[in-house]
Amino acid sequence: MKSAAGSSLLSRLLALTAALGVITGAGCGSINRTDRITVAAAGKITSLDPAQASTVSTLQLLSALGDPLYELTTEGRLEPRLAAAQPDVSQDGLTITIPLRRGVRFHDGTEFNAEAMAFSLRRFLDIGSLSYVVGGRIKAVEAPEPDRMVLQLTRPSTSLAGLLTSVNLTPVSPTAYSGHRERFLHDRFVGTGPYRLTHFSDHQQRLEPFEDYWGEPPRNNGLDLISLSNSTSLFGALRSGEVDVLLSPSIDEDQRHALHQDAQAGKLQEAVGPASEIGYITLLSRGEPLQRKQLRQALALSLNRKEISQRVSYGLRRPLRSLIPPSLSKGRESIWPDHDPSSARQLLQTAGYCNGRPLVVPLTFRSNVPADKLLALTWQAQIKRDLADCLSLELDGVESTTIYRQLGEGAFKAVMLDWRGSYPDPEAYLTPLLSCDRGEQSICQEGEAAISGSFWTAPGLQDALESSDRLEGPKRSDKLRSIQALAAEGSAYIPVWLVAPTAWSQTSLMPLRFDGSGHLLLDELMHAPSRGVSN
Amino acid sequence: MSRTGALLRYSATRLGLAPLMLWLIATLVFLLLRVAPGDPVDAVLGSRAPAVAKAAMRARLGLDKTLPDQYLDYLRGLLHGDLGQGLINQEPVRDIISRTLPASLELSVLALALAAVIGLSIGFSGIARPEGKLDLAGRLYGLGTYALPPFWVAMLLQLLFAVSLGWLPVGGRFPPSLMPPEGTGFYLLDSIRSLDMTALKGTLRHLVLPAGTLALLLSGTFTTALRLNLRRSLRGDYAEAARSRGLSERQVVLRHGLPNALLPVLTIAGITVASLIGGALLIEVTFSWPGIALRLQEAINQRDYPVVQGIVVVIAALVVLVSVAVDLLVAALDPRVRY
Repeated sequence: MKSAAGSSLLSRLLALTAALGVITGAGCGSINRTDRITVAAAGKITSLDPAQASTVSTLQLLSALGDPLYELTTEGRLEPRLAAAQPDVSQDGLTITIPLRRGVRFHDGTEFNAEAMAFSLRRFLDIGSLSYVVGGRIKAVEAPEPDRMVLQLTRPSTSLAGLLTSVNLTPVSPTAYSGHRERFLHDRFVGTGPYRLTHFSDHQQRLEPFEDYWGEPPRNNGLDLISLSNSTSLFGALRSGEVDVLLSPSIDEDQRHALHQDAQAGKLQEAVGPASEIGYITLLSRGEPLQRKQLRQALALSLNRKEISQRVSYGLRRPLRSLIPPSLSKGRESIWPDHDPSSARQLLQTAGYCNGRPLVVPLTFRSNVPADKLLALTWQAQIKRDLADCLSLELDGVESTTIYRQLGEGAFKAVMLDWRGSYPDPEAYLTPLLSCDRGEQSICQEGEAAISGSFWTAPGLQDALESSDRLEGPKRSDKLRSIQALAAEGSAYIPVWLVAPTAWSQTSLMPLRFDGSGHLLLDELMHAPSRGVSN
Repeated sequence: MSRTGALLRYSATRLGLAPLMLWLIATLVFLLLRVAPGDPVDAVLGSRAPAVAKAAMRARLGLDKTLPDQYLDYLRGLLHGDLGQGLINQEPVRDIISRTLPASLELSVLALALAAVIGLSIGFSGIARPEGKLDLAGRLYGLGTYALPPFWVAMLLQLLFAVSLGWLPVGGRFPPSLMPPEGTGFYLLDSIRSLDMTALKGTLRHLVLPAGTLALLLSGTFTTALRLNLRRSLRGDYAEAARSRGLSERQVVLRHGLPNALLPVLTIAGITVASLIGGALLIEVTFSWPGIALRLQEAINQRDYPVVQGIVVVIAALVVLVSVAVDLLVAALDPRVRY
């Protein structure tokens, strides 16, 4: 009798579970397929304002919703998008005239013209959180004719061309943003791009093709962008076929490797964009013990990048011995010295270390970035193997928000960080790390080098940085190389690896490719005809 | 004083103390956030933004004021029901909470209901033969599920049912290709109200894994609690008296044992639902469930003071309210309870 009551409850429970299974379709392996494309990425999108955008996901989304003035091709050429032709630079280099495309409309129907472009640019200069990248270079933005915009500069600037490809300068409709001239508009975006935004939440966005788009219309019927909060979810969503495209720099190394192998086996597609993110170690040069250059140089020589790349990322993060990604320095430049433990030992011995007196360096890594921890552990093990009696690393994991807050206070002797330039130009990498407004000898007291936590500068470095932006062609390349040689000699930064944006998709999608700025070309994606999907 | 009077006085005392508790919690959160390293202005503008821009934003957000002034502003807002605006995107905190809280509540309530059904069924099933195989299995289930690490179980189930078998979605709350149903924010309820079967199916499919995982982890508590309390009840004098009056064992269990055994379980359920509202973080992170716990974690990482403060205060208020409600319910149901 008693067991009857129990088994009755159990059978009801089983019946309920079965009913739920039928309703949800569990067990059928059913994944809804539509002619839309689902793209997954890590991290939610908190603001759609191009004047504030900084995360990879946001910039990728904005690249589908808006058009920059120019785009960078995979070969590194500047090609007009909303501009009608290449920029015309005056003889003195202080005036840039940009002819604009006609017949372009914003998603709200407003006409795109020089006034609209000037509105967006002025807005960015006034409130843009990345306006510091423009510095004081732009003196005035003028719109003398509807299809001609003029930039008056304070000084000639070669790197400005690269800046004009930035998604942050994507024009926005002056009508839609009239009430947001001096403040951010977070949950809407009204641009000129191939897609318009029809639904926005921080975890999910819906994009529909823009019917009045001036260019070639998207090849798919719309995009659904979702953000998932962890690497395993992203990995699983692509593997299970739940999403069509996975775009994320934050996939864990093991999963990235597994996806890479899947792609090599033909189970998935993989596209790699131009590497734009560098991983590096900053050494504090203004305090004991690393104010001594030879100790910093010894640390630089103790790092075996190839081994670290293999151990941490299965070789997917390419070893880097330059602060500028090779795609921007016209080739694979290796400025920093390679792994050389015997030279490191000599330097340390000269400095009075080794033979029972090792130099102990606290190395801080971002505890919320798995690759950083692996790098720290691998480097520590390398030093233990190669230089145990001379050098020792003490590891300390700190949450990244805290690191960035305390970096400029000189709180870390050695800290691992990464950097992605805001626009494709060497200046976007060198200036934020090396520029110094006020310095004494080799110590930078105020400026980007101080904010970056190295506090390192060198006589003539600032002048060299400024003059490099006035040069072009081989002269500029030579100047940049000499700047990097100076930085390598100072060894306040140790470049470690290069991270390329990578995307994976189901094999039924084509074509999967990045543009020269590292944005996936979502409007080109379409389901293969064999799947019977109409576009 | 009559029992009802005592109960009312007890309720008034508990509810009267609630504002004091909330004030203490709000103050603690306010101070802890200011002590923690990290600058919200850096989070919004980036650490490399010009000092002028940083100062302007600091002034606009009121962060240039002295700490006591900031605290007074915060308390003043709180008293007027104004939780402030998020620093990162200036969205009112009230809107953030009203968007994310239904997601967490929907998940928690469903998980709790499932946990109760599963846990109580298993706990009850062994009662026919104490120390028998079924009872032993129930005991092991109770201990085992209680001891399982939530994050590990969640990932394991996710890998099995979503990645390997592909039966269920990996994460999220609603199919990305559909528009979420409009209404209360409780998708299950909104789908049923609008008779939208596609939305209902999508919602249920996304709920199964996170709610099922939570239910699995919680159900052991119910199993153990019911097992122990039911056995104690059935050994009680009133159970023996009932048997001696000729009642069948089924009647003894259902009429006398179960109601008495369920009262402590009700208290456990109350405490569990209160802690679940803010405590299902690991589940929300694993399944990318856009609930209040996940939002709280993001706000802490971004040093978004008003959002953290607002969410913590609301969660604390809910915990207080639920625990008072459970106390009152138990008191109303159990005549033995005295105040």
